Amino acid sequence: MRSQFWGLFVREILRTFRNPFVLLITVVQPFMWLAFFGSSFGNVSPVYLKGLFGTTNYIEFLLPGVLSTSMLSVGMFGSMSTIQDKRFGFMKRILITPTSKEIIFLSKALGSATRGLVQIPVMVVAAVAFGVSFGLSPLEWAAWIAGLFCLAIGFSSLFLAITAPSTDWQTPGVVSNFITMPLMFASASMFSSSQFPAWMQAISNVNPITFSALLGRSFVLGRPIPWEYLGYLAVFAVGMLAIGYFVSARWLRVE
Amino acid sequence: MTDPPAIELRGLSKRYGSGEGSVLALDRVNLSITKGTVFGLLGPNGAGKTTLIKVLTGISDVTEGEGSVAGFDIRRQSLEVRARIGWVAAEVILDDDFSGWENLWLQAKLQSLTGWEDRAHQLLDYFSLADRAKDKVGHYSTGMRKKLEIALALLHQPSVIFMDEPTIGLDVGTRRMLWDIVTGIHREFGVTVLLTTHYIEEADALCDRVAIIDEGRIIAEGSPSELKARVKADLVQLETSDGVDVRALSDLPGVQEVRSQGNEWVIRVASSEEFLPRLFARVPTDHIRRISVEKPSLETVFLDLTGRRIGQDEPMRDVRKFYMQMRRARQ
Repeated sequence: MRSQFWGLFVREILRTFRNPFVLLITVVQPFMWLAFFGSSFGNVSPVYLKGLFGTTNYIEFLLPGVLSTSMLSVGMFGSMSTIQDKRFGFMKRILITPTSKEIIFLSKALGSATRGLVQIPVMVVAAVAFGVSFGLSPLEWAAWIAGLFCLAIGFSSLFLAITAPSTDWQTPGVVSNFITMPLMFASASMFSSSQFPAWMQAISNVNPITFSALLGRSFVLGRPIPWEYLGYLAVFAVGMLAIGYFVSARWLRVE
Repeated sequence: MTDPPAIELRGLSKRYGSGEGSVLALDRVNLSITKGTVFGLLGPNGAGKTTLIKVLTGISDVTEGEGSVAGFDIRRQSLEVRARIGWVAAEVILDDDFSGWENLWLQAKLQSLTGWEDRAHQLLDYFSLADRAKDKVGHYSTGMRKKLEIALALLHQPSVIFMDEPTIGLDVGTRRMLWDIVTGIHREFGVTVLLTTHYIEEADALCDRVAIIDEGRIIAEGSPSELKARVKADLVQLETSDGVDVRALSDLPGVQEVRSQGNEWVIRVASSEEFLPRLFARVPTDHIRRISVEKPSLETVFLDLTGRRIGQDEPMRDVRKFYMQMRRARQ
């Protein structure tokens, strides 16, 4: 079981890093967020920015949010590899070995989350280039990364659960897009949710992206650390893993 | 004591869907395949060959009936079965971003093998792939890819290899190479091979025994020579410009059966050499559009059993009908 998991996990990772285009997009996409979206408040007065975001550098505010939404995208793209494996018959090749569907799910979820983690150092370096300074302790770094990892595991599992039963390659993509948009905007990833209308605040208050963004922001901006958010993200990851595991075991279809 | 069969099926059925729109893809299939044989499953497209492989390899569930592969129940011991089988797909399925060696590595991981490297080197040598083992398989030729796929199927020393239409879409040279490989691996590795095909000559050349499958049912089984001996007749296919007098044809000496097949007539005769002069004496030769004679072959066995040719499915019949109408319109 360990051998099969390791084989499939390494395959997931190598496939990403051997495809220069996928690697480039994985790295460049969040960087573009910082460059384009982060610069959109470039001409706004520092006083106004301080009042709105609690910092005069919007990128400082944005970085934890962008990293959190990146984990959402990573989860979505990770599930697409399942569709690809079904379309090109590789899923059949795997399942005509003593590899269980649960192992396939776990290797893909972990592979996808690991790919997400690659974005963290790239984004941090980019943020430094945009004038963000980091004074985090090793424990804070570890907690921030752990939160992001939980978020990536949770979303990867969710999207894998959506793609597992499907034999159609278009529907999961459409469903994933349908979920992604509201999750991204109804969160505190780009703006403070205190400015949202009540119904959006209600979504944002249970949205794991909000918890991850606020946790990261507390580290970057030196605010009081809401450690319980890390617990929430861990529960989200475990819950989604359990759902994905169960759905894959029962309904993962080969073609 | 005799060895248990490599594959045994008893009343195995597979139905896709339920209710009115459901399709019975396998209909109470009974089959016993002796260890160490190359067994061919011959039938037209849609006959149920691939479905049977899917059921035996655990990709599809069984609707009804029992089956075992390498002594393990396909319903209850799927993991044990999958540890003892290899699979070669109709379309080559490899990880193109990986090298040949890495594909073998992945296969070893999926089969939980230890100490697989020697075997992998042996297989790479056997298939003349050792020099290209470190190249990405995306850069391999079709023949090399097919060889690597067979090497993957053999890596864990399986008892049974399933080859699902392994030569489909291959050029003649590569197909011949694959035939040699199938014969070779059977001889060298002593593995049981279940091969599906709709190529008559492939089944004839490679298989110790053949089962003919049509519409989900096994309609005949035996060695190629046994099956051909069943026909005991030559088949004459006749197409005329103005029909034939069936009774007059049937009364000709040596005629066993006259059967209409669209615009053609299939005449089963004891000896075509004796029949043809009699036919030409009865039917004016300028009325004959086309005539062909087939000596007993697996094709004629299928034709004899089903009234159709293996490659003759519905759309093909429509095309022939279309050309026939066009010809009439021109006359």
